Amino acid sequence: MIEVSNLTQTYRSGKGVFDLNFTIKEGEVFGYLGPNGAGKTTTIRNLLGFTNADKGTCTIKGIDCRKDAAKLQNMIGFLPGEMAFLPSMTGMQFLKFMSDMRKTKNKKRRDELIELFELDPSPKIKKMSKGMKQKLGIITAFMHDPEIYILDEPTSGLDPLMQNVFMDLIEQEHANGKTIMMSSHIFEEVQKSCDRACIIREGKIVATEEIKSLEVMKQKAYVVTFESQDGMKKFLQSKLQTETIASNKARIFIDGDYTAMFKELAKYNIKGFESQQQSIEDVFMKYYGKDGEGA
Amino acid sequence: MNMTLFKASLKSHWKFVLGVTLFILMFVVIAISMYDPESAERMKQMFEMMPDGFMKAFGFDELGSELTSYLSNYLHGYIMLISPLIGSIVLANSLIAKHVDTGNMAYLLSTPNSRIKIVVTQMMFLLTSMTFMFAINIGVALIMSEASYTGLLDISAFLQLNLVAFLVAIVVSGISFLASCIFNDTKRSLTVGVGIPVLLFVAKMISEISDKLENLKYASIYTVIDIQKILEGDPTYVVVSSIILVGVSVLLFAASIIIFNRKNLVI
Repeated sequence: MIEVSNLTQTYRSGKGVFDLNFTIKEGEVFGYLGPNGAGKTTTIRNLLGFTNADKGTCTIKGIDCRKDAAKLQNMIGFLPGEMAFLPSMTGMQFLKFMSDMRKTKNKKRRDELIELFELDPSPKIKKMSKGMKQKLGIITAFMHDPEIYILDEPTSGLDPLMQNVFMDLIEQEHANGKTIMMSSHIFEEVQKSCDRACIIREGKIVATEEIKSLEVMKQKAYVVTFESQDGMKKFLQSKLQTETIASNKARIFIDGDYTAMFKELAKYNIKGFESQQQSIEDVFMKYYGKDGEGA
Repeated sequence: MNMTLFKASLKSHWKFVLGVTLFILMFVVIAISMYDPESAERMKQMFEMMPDGFMKAFGFDELGSELTSYLSNYLHGYIMLISPLIGSIVLANSLIAKHVDTGNMAYLLSTPNSRIKIVVTQMMFLLTSMTFMFAINIGVALIMSEASYTGLLDISAFLQLNLVAFLVAIVVSGISFLASCIFNDTKRSLTVGVGIPVLLFVAKMISEISDKLENLKYASIYTVIDIQKILEGDPTYVVVSSIILVGVSVLLFAASIIIFNRKNLVI
């Protein structure tokens, strides 16, 4: 569906993207992760045909993103990373303007989305808060019911409640077979909604993985507090994989053998026991090394 | 051409375009209502008492006693040059560069309209606005003159002069539009898009004040509006300069479209 091959674009500052390669399959939710300034927006600019790459190509459904940009736009729902609208318009005027520019007539979807995000589209855009603008951007990207979504940091500016509403919307669209690419610098967001994710750092892709296979690699960790330091010392000699946190506190890592853990723990007086979720981020980082050199 | 975008541009700029038009109109109305052959003679004498360079710089040095010459010198020495200049530099910048600078352009281009369509629409809006400014003022000038002094105005000469003035304004707007299409930020777009037109205008003013710097007139497109020559009736001059001005405009706008279509947009 979306294919990026050998994409290279260098800015005068030395930043940019270098020899990027990835494909997004039809119906896939693809997370595009990276810190600020890693090249996420540059990639997206190329996918929308705003810039000329130094080298390489981007195609969507086999159509060149730069040369035939206009042909692609009604298939794409695009949410820019920076909120900039025609500031003198009201939210509603802007939505109508965009519908007219796209020559789409169906208002039903637009009104549903306005209701879903609880947006009041009547004030002027320049008077809107960041969150309202973000909602307006999301509605603009979704209201013409495109088959592909390219979303640049979609949840920034949204409160947690609205982030959930947005995530549900992504899930729905995923179920409808839409192809979605979303960039983010927040791992959990991608973990929740994406099938596959890639990490970009300093303009290069350092990892591409199925989220599911990362879930499997995820270890469970528990923190145990012992009543006595002696008990703790004895415990550390057991076969379990452990790590000392304090003189009477230890972390246990297990890969699924819970029985062994509980049998061992039953021998001591325990003061506290809590589970610790290891995030996929930790797995990702462990898997590829913190500097992206590979472990 | 995209009518939705054209209407949106109209909506955000109509007050400004109307404002410039009315500003010029104020001078048109004042000029015609102030005219009477005797007082024109008196005014001429008054101007003669002013420092020579001062009046020349504002194009009031040749205010004739005859209506056509009086009106032309009054309007086309200064007002009908500087007002469209201001109008076009503001419009040209905000029609393209400002949208790119703020990022609005990302939204315009995320609709199924090619870059060429977007830039042509904005160009058409600029040209329409310029035409509006001139058409209203020339129309009112003709109607008022005919109503007050039937037959006194040499309509053909007056129209020829306005044609040349209009085409010069279009070339100048083309310079600003090109700058607006080249640069991704309004700061540089304005530096070049305002800088060059203002320099051209200043060159004309200086060439008229100073005899030493008279040759500067060859450096300014504004000296093509040679009121004396056109009013004396030199059809070849009008035709040749019009053709050249149209040619330059076409080049400027074509370059704007091509550059905007090809360039990297940081949006």
